Amino acid sequence: MDFTMSPEQELWKQTVREFADQELEPIARKIDEEWHRIPDEVIDKMADLGIFGITIPEEYGGCAVPGEEMQYAVTTIHELARGELSMSLPVYTLLCIGWSILMVDHATEEAKEEILPKVVTGEWFLGINTTEPGGGSDLANIKTVATKDTGDSWIINGEKAYISGVREATERGGGHATLFLTEPEKGYKGATFAYFPADAPGTSYTTYSDMGRMGLSTGGFVYKDVEIPKKYILGEENKGFYVNMEGFNVARAVVSAACLGGAEKCLEISADYTKQRVLFGRPLLNFEAISFEMVDDRAQLEMLKLMLQKGAWLIDQSRKDKSKVDFREINRTMAMCKCYAPEMGVRVARNGMMYHGGFGYTKDTPLEMSLRGTMSYLVGAEGGYHVMKIIMGRDWFGDEAVPYRGSQVGH
Amino acid sequence: MDIVVCMKQMPDLQQIRIKDRKPILENVPLVWGDLDKNAIEEAALIKEKVGEAKITVVAKGSDKLQQGILEPLAMGADEAVLLTDPAFEGSDSMGTAKVLAKAIEKIGAYDLVILGEGSTDNYSGLVGSALAELLNLPEITYVRELNVENGKVTAVRNMEESFEVVEANLPVVITVAQEINEPRLPKFMAIRKAGAKPRHEWGPADIGLSADEVGENAASVDMLSNLAPEQDRKNIILEGDLDEKIDALVDALIKEGVLGR
Ligand SMILES: Cc1cc2nc3c(=O)[nH]c(=O)nc-3n(C[C@H](O)[C@H](O)[C@H](O)COP(=O)(O)OP(=O)(O)OC[C@H]3O[C@@H](n4cnc5c(N)ncnc54)[C@H](O)[C@@H]3O)c2cc1C
Repeated sequence: MDFTMSPEQELWKQTVREFADQELEPIARKIDEEWHRIPDEVIDKMADLGIFGITIPEEYGGCAVPGEEMQYAVTTIHELARGELSMSLPVYTLLCIGWSILMVDHATEEAKEEILPKVVTGEWFLGINTTEPGGGSDLANIKTVATKDTGDSWIINGEKAYISGVREATERGGGHATLFLTEPEKGYKGATFAYFPADAPGTSYTTYSDMGRMGLSTGGFVYKDVEIPKKYILGEENKGFYVNMEGFNVARAVVSAACLGGAEKCLEISADYTKQRVLFGRPLLNFEAISFEMVDDRAQLEMLKLMLQKGAWLIDQSRKDKSKVDFREINRTMAMCKCYAPEMGVRVARNGMMYHGGFGYTKDTPLEMSLRGTMSYLVGAEGGYHVMKIIMGRDWFGDEAVPYRGSQVGH
Repeated sequence: MDIVVCMKQMPDLQQIRIKDRKPILENVPLVWGDLDKNAIEEAALIKEKVGEAKITVVAKGSDKLQQGILEPLAMGADEAVLLTDPAFEGSDSMGTAKVLAKAIEKIGAYDLVILGEGSTDNYSGLVGSALAELLNLPEITYVRELNVENGKVTAVRNMEESFEVVEANLPVVITVAQEINEPRLPKFMAIRKAGAKPRHEWGPADIGLSADEVGENAASVDMLSNLAPEQDRKNIILEGDLDEKIDALVDALIKEGVLGR
């Protein structure tokens, strides 16, 4: 067993941290409040460093280290999130590098050659598109459907909701890995997963006015007779639900990393403040009601970090050799991380606001921005808080713990 | 063109705590000095400009260099010479210069030798000049702008109150000031490739010195104590309305010698 990072991993972590300190921290508030977008120059600089290629093999222009993609992805997002507490840029990036992994593993050669090099250069955005107005938690009940199969393509009709990056994908180029039905009568067993270019004719989008992470759009897509070529399929027809779930595990890892990085930074901000804030004749940190809470938070973040490292490592191992890793262990580990990471992120930011008193309620600290941004991951994205508990329960107790499957009284 | 860059790792100054006026150095991670990064950056920029060049980093320090050397290699160095033998420990500035000079002589080919104008921890600023002397080379210090062309360098020196432009033929020793460039962050691909670049580890014997010619044994300067300056607050509270307070503040600052007349 070995918990040390390789010299390369260590140097990369340091590099991304320096980048985040120098380039992101000074503009995080502007991203959230003024620009409501991530500046192109920043995306260009990130691409130049190699951030968007970190999970993409060299043959598609990327720079992935085979077998260490997730370890690098998690480290990268963790460090970026420390610098950009609104969460806009970490989320933008984690969607691109997370869903690239699924593309690498499940897209057709033609699609990979078309899409991945453009993700590497930062030109295109790549996201995930599963949630519908009818309910995000109950994914098996989606309605977006291929109303016609022309042989080479599907004609899609339907609607998606709360999708990150609708504007970015439409304006910059790129698209979303999308879940839809190809055999509606079979329910989720008739669902297919495919890349939908945001500019496919017949696609339109609206955006919502969100609570936080204002530099990245959230919105809905409407599909009216949109033709999606079959070359964009991810995995196999009618097996989309499972491919999607595999992608969620990757996404849960990087999402957790974003929450972890933000929380870590909030805690450091709080430590600096409570050390110098003098009340009742001594530093605030000197009161154990404060310091005990902070050491609790720190210890729990450390636990999360370890678990996340394990999860990332498990995914890397399984991508090298599926037979070596129990898929359920990945599922369980990632659900546990994604369950608690946003919860901890929100809590640490909130605690920090408390230590800062009135100052914490102002926009002169980034704590409230972090709280607003991290809250999005408690609510949703790759399964919300409760859904993680459903996964954890099912893993432990079996179908007994699943309300729509287990033995219900009266059935 | 052959460029040698001398670099040193030092405790991360941001993380040093002071206790009883003494720096606590245990468990403080080592980082490259800021000016050392300017030095390697300048070498990398020159290489990008002239095309054909080989950059060798020479670093004397602890075995932590094994890990740390990856950074300059990822920033553009082609090869590294590590002087990690414990016999080198405890060198004074002259001793360090001697060891570096011997290592550079062993490398053999050097048109440019670049260092920081000082190390950001001790800042004696002696090593560059001593090294130039030992290698019998001209030296240009405090360089804020460097241009290499047709076997010559033109350098702008920062003399604080003025800039001086000087020219020298290669080979030459250059010490750089912080304004000369903005050190790059290494790209991911460069980090990946850095691990495979050649590294050599040389002890005293490899560079033609005996153990008592190096390190603490050969040091002519002994560090007797290393204390942080004492800082005391005077806790002067000025009374009166704003104008009176400003006058009193200005008076006080003049009395302390902070403001001139
Ligand atoms: C900022 C933001 C960005 C998003 N980005 C994306 C994206 O890029 N792509 C995408 O596909 N989706 C995205 N989503 C959608 C997100 O995944 C969904 O919001 C989430 O899955 C919840 O779905 P819902 O909003 O329909 O809530 P519902 O499914 O209606 O759930 C409502 C509440 O009930 C809880 N709940 C549901 N079922 C149970 C149960 N069985 N037991 C107990 N409690 C339960 C839920 O946890 C939730 O708290 C995003 C959401 C947000 C807020």
